[in-house]
Amino acid sequence: MASLSQLVDSVVVTTFEIDKPEVRLGRRTNNDIRIDEISVSGQHAVIECVPNAYLEGTMDYYITDKGSTNGTFVNDLRITERQRLNSNDRVRIGWNEFRFVDEDENAMEKTAYILD
Amino acid sequence: MVFHVSGLTDIGTVRTSNQDAIDWCLDDASTEALLVLADGMGGYQGGEEASRIALDTLMESLAPALNAGTTPESRKQSVQLALNLASERIEARKAQAPDLAKMGTTIVLAWVSGNSAILAHIGDSRCYLLHNESLQCLTRDDTVVQNMLEDGSIRERDVPNVPFRNVLTRALGASDATATFGEVPLEPGDLLLLCSDGLTGALEENEWISLLSRADSVQTGVQALIDASLEKGAKDNVSVVLLSTN
Repeated sequence: MASLSQLVDSVVVTTFEIDKPEVRLGRRTNNDIRIDEISVSGQHAVIECVPNAYLEGTMDYYITDKGSTNGTFVNDLRITERQRLNSNDRVRIGWNEFRFVDEDENAMEKTAYILD
Repeated sequence: MVFHVSGLTDIGTVRTSNQDAIDWCLDDASTEALLVLADGMGGYQGGEEASRIALDTLMESLAPALNAGTTPESRKQSVQLALNLASERIEARKAQAPDLAKMGTTIVLAWVSGNSAILAHIGDSRCYLLHNESLQCLTRDDTVVQNMLEDGSIRERDVPNVPFRNVLTRALGASDATATFGEVPLEPGDLLLLCSDGLTGALEENEWISLLSRADSVQTGVQALIDASLEKGAKDNVSVVLLSTN
């Protein structure tokens, strides 16, 4: 399971589960993650949760900016196209800081192994 | 053309075992050469055993056929038969020892004859051609990362961070042993290089060209690549086999 935790002064204030194939972020009330703050656009960004085509049982998470005014940033880089999220990536929505965590990814073996 | 070959394998700066294995042979006139590199995996002991079994089987099966005047097609068939045998031997060893159950190995092989080479590979060990100061990778990695780069899911800059960057889609001993084959023409002055991912992981490809062009022999070229990888703190085992033509 993956989650997005909002940080204020590096402290987690709210954690949102990424538990749907598509999680919308923005200022309007029809978003899954509503961020009622002036730098956030109405429909700001979307996170997609997609099964990895080559690794059974593994989910990939991708974030896309929906043409927001103040931008979506991953690890301080403004994204201009669909970007894969890795666990512990810092995500910024306008001026709002989040940390993306994918617990399953942390458990993944880091040394070389073979797909049977 | 006459060929010169040299190779080195190094444990790297972090690992406690070297699971890479390399070998090569030339015919008496140095006009035909066989180069093989294997990068084992599946635990400390398993990785070493798998790469060694594969290498020994390939050399034992193919070295006697050097300079037998065979066609590229018949050489590819011989290579595939040798790979099938290596796969059977790895499977047999796995059946004997449960702690080796996850062992497997990559393979990259070049059989150089006249003005061309046939290439075979399984996994992410690579073959490069250095031609006119230009470096070209001749093999396609059998990895999840390569598949995702090609389908557009990720970009080159994402590769160092994705969690499955070490996952192979194919390996000898773990999947069907059918290799991917290639063929490359060679001209005098060309260099053909086999390497494990320890080299590509430690040293940017654009640094290879200057190191190799400064070297006055294949021995010093190989040594320069290994030394530069270690200076960069190579985390994995690093192996290189290099062939020059003149």
